[in-house]
Amino acid sequence: MTDLLNLPWHEAREHASPRELVNASLAASRNDPLNAFLNINDNAPPGHPIAIKDNIVTTDLPTTCASRILANFVSPFDATAVTRLRAAGASIIGKTNLDEFAMGSSTEHSAFGPTRNPWDPSRVAGGSSGGSAAAVAARMVPAALGSETGGSVRQPAAFCGVVGLKPTYGRVSRWGLVAFASGLDQIGIVTKTVRECAELLGTIAGADAMDSTSSPHPVDDYAADLDAGVRGLRFGVVREAVEKLEGEVRANFEEALVVLRGGGAVIEDVSVPTIGYAIAIYYIVANAEASANLARFDGVRYGHRSKESPTLSDLYFHSRGEGFGAEVKRRIMLGTFALSSGYYDAYYGRAQSVRARMRHDFGEAFRSFDYLVTPTTPEPAFPIGAKTSDPLSMYLSDVFTAPANLVGIPALAVPSGFSKEGLPLSLQIMGPHFSERALFRAGGFFERETGWWRRRPTLTY
Amino acid sequence: MKVSRDEVRRIAGLAHLAFDDAGLDRMADELTKILSYIDQLREVDVRGFEEHAAGATPMRDDTPRPSLDRALVERNAPSWAEGHFIVPQVVPPSPAAVPAASPPPKKS
Repeated sequence: MTDLLNLPWHEAREHASPRELVNASLAASRNDPLNAFLNINDNAPPGHPIAIKDNIVTTDLPTTCASRILANFVSPFDATAVTRLRAAGASIIGKTNLDEFAMGSSTEHSAFGPTRNPWDPSRVAGGSSGGSAAAVAARMVPAALGSETGGSVRQPAAFCGVVGLKPTYGRVSRWGLVAFASGLDQIGIVTKTVRECAELLGTIAGADAMDSTSSPHPVDDYAADLDAGVRGLRFGVVREAVEKLEGEVRANFEEALVVLRGGGAVIEDVSVPTIGYAIAIYYIVANAEASANLARFDGVRYGHRSKESPTLSDLYFHSRGEGFGAEVKRRIMLGTFALSSGYYDAYYGRAQSVRARMRHDFGEAFRSFDYLVTPTTPEPAFPIGAKTSDPLSMYLSDVFTAPANLVGIPALAVPSGFSKEGLPLSLQIMGPHFSERALFRAGGFFERETGWWRRRPTLTY
Repeated sequence: MKVSRDEVRRIAGLAHLAFDDAGLDRMADELTKILSYIDQLREVDVRGFEEHAAGATPMRDDTPRPSLDRALVERNAPSWAEGHFIVPQVVPPSPAAVPAASPPPKKS
C-alpha cells in the first residue's frame, strides 16, 4: 500500500480510488515514528490526501500551533487555503508538528516534542514546518501545507529531501494562517515532486476578500512549462552567498550548476551586496511583528488561562508565562525591544531601511537574470540538540532562505543529492515576484535530470 | 548593544511576560548576544533607502455580514457566561474604589 504513496499524485490516482489512497495515507500516518503529526483525522473523507501544518486553522481538528497556550483550540472557521483544498477534493489526513508558532528552524521548539528526520532520526527535520516535510519525505502523505516567514518550508524540505515552495508574498491568502509576522508570512507547499507542487499552488492561490494583502494577480497554469527545459534561461549565482560555502554543500551546488548548464542554461555570477544581512533584518522585522501579533494570546477569549489570576494583570502575565515556550518569549522580548521607545529608529527603522536596499539589490539582479540560485541551506540536517542552547546559530540556519521572504519573491527548494552521511541536500531557485510558473519550469527540469525524489528513506528504526 | 537586567524587566512589562531573576539574567545575556549580531546593520549605507512607507493596504467595503457563531466562540472560551467572556474583577470593589477624603497611609 505504501508504494501508492511513493508515486507522484497524478500516477497514484490512476492506480487506486480516493478511498484507498486516504486509507493508505491514514495507515502510514498513524504509524508515525517521527512525531510528524500532532493530530490525525480519523474521519478523513475520500480524496487527495494532504497534511496541514498545525498553525493553519481547520474546523474539524484542533489547531495548536505546537503551543501549550492553544493546546485545546478548535477554530470556528477554516483557513481559505483549506477551504479551497477541500473544494478541490483534498482530504485532510492530519495536522503536522512545528516549532511553536512557527518560531524556529528545527521543530525542536514544539511544546509536543521534536520531529525527527526520516533519513536519520537522531537529526532534526528542520523547521518550522518540520512535521510537514518529514511526513511527505516518509511517504505518509503525498503533500502538505506549511508556512514560511524566513524559510520555514524550504529549510525543512531541504533537510528531509523533498520539494518546498515559498510563493510570492500575497500569492496565497493568509486568512486562517495564525499570524507570526504578517508582512512576511506566506502559506507554502511541501511535495515529493515539482509537478505535485505546481498543481497544488493552482488550487490554493488567488485573491481573497478575507486577506487584503492577497494579490489580484491572475492565477497561472503553474504546471504548463514543467517540460519546457532551461535552454537559454539565465541563472545568477549569488556570489556573496556562495563564496563562504564549504565541503560537500559547495561540491553539490557546483554539480547542480553543471546539470543546469547541461540543459543549455546560462550560468553567471551576480552580486547581491546586502544578502548577508538577511538574518539580522529578519530577526528585527519578524519579531517586531510577532510581538504585536502574539499580544492576542492573553487568556481571555481562547487558549490557556492561568489558574493564578486574581487580577486581570495577573491573568495576562501568568497565562502567557505558562502558555508560551522559551523561544516564543525570547522573540516577543526581542520584538518588543526593537519597537520600544528609544530603540525604534536604531533597530526597527534601520532594519526596514536595509531591507529596502536589499529589495533594490534583488531588483537589479533580476534585470540580468531569470533566476538566482543558492544552496537552500548552508549545511545538511544537524543533530537534535546541537543548536538549542545557541539561538543565534539556529537563526543562521535560514541564511539563504530569509532573503526571499524579506523581498517578497517566490523560491523553490529542490532535492539536489545526498551527503556522504546520506543526508539530503537541496538547490534553491529564486525568481522575481509572481514567477512561480518559471520556477516550476526550472525545478521540473532539474528534477527530471537528477531524479533525486525517487530515493526514499527506509524508516527502519 | 548591552542589555541590562533592568532593561529586560522593563521590556517584559511591556510584553506582559514575567521572568524570575535567573530568567531576567538569562534573557539579558541572550538579547545582548543577538543584538550584537544585529548591530552589523549599522555598517550598511542606506542613503536613499530610508525606511519607506509601505504602499497603502487595500480595504474591502465595510458591509455588514454574519460574524462568528457564538456557540463556537464559547467552545474555546476559558470562562464564559450569558454571551460574555468572564475576567477577574477589573475595578476594585467599593469602598476602596471611592477616593478617600484623606490620603491612605503609605505602606512601609
